[in-house]
Amino acid sequence: MFKIQRAENGDVVLSGRLDASQADAATAVFSTVTESCTVDFTDLEYISSMGLGVLLATQKRLNEKGHGLRLVNLSPHLSDLFRLAGFNLLFDIE
Amino acid sequence: MKREFERTIEALDEIFRSVDEFTAEEAIDDDGAFAVKLAIEELFTNMVRHNTGGRDHIAIRLEREGDRLVLNLTDFDVESFDASDIGAVDVRRPLSEREVGGLGVHLVRKLFDELSYQYIDGTLCVTAVKHIGRKDVQDTTG
Repeated sequence: MFKIQRAENGDVVLSGRLDASQADAATAVFSTVTESCTVDFTDLEYISSMGLGVLLATQKRLNEKGHGLRLVNLSPHLSDLFRLAGFNLLFDIE
Repeated sequence: MKREFERTIEALDEIFRSVDEFTAEEAIDDDGAFAVKLAIEELFTNMVRHNTGGRDHIAIRLEREGDRLVLNLTDFDVESFDASDIGAVDVRRPLSEREVGGLGVHLVRKLFDELSYQYIDGTLCVTAVKHIGRKDVQDTTG
């Protein structure tokens, strides 16, 4: 089960499994992000290329205005995947 | 695991449940299970999205053959298929030059050791093989 929400401080908090069937839900929330923002991956177990595409589209949109996403608390699986996708070169990952 | 799944993105829930049962039975560790799920999702969703004229169901077979995980997806009545440039992504490009799509097969190629496409008489068969070592299999002896 996938969940995405904006915290009171504006952070995007993800949990569960972000697969192709949940990409529209993720897009709907990320479209509300208009300036630099932290995305918390603590409880996200899985992400596929559709989810990565949502992050990339958001980063491209924000970057045009001098903003960007900061990705935090990725599991080892997700860290490896983001590196294979070259996202370590495109995002601030902690 | 050998089953047919409905040609819809919503079938992913059922597919993941079947993969969980398989990886538990075969004691495949989290790394291996993650790679299998990702490969199945990427290859399955590509078939759903691009082979729109195909049959209502797509066949998925996942087997362990010794130290190899063999994944096979078969799509029937596919009109045509062009495998050129599939998965060709330069991940070192700057953000402004990165395309939003196209990462799926690139990731399958990175996580699996072999990936091949066979298209004969309207049937598309995609096979991915991952060699699994000790780190991919849970120690169930303790």
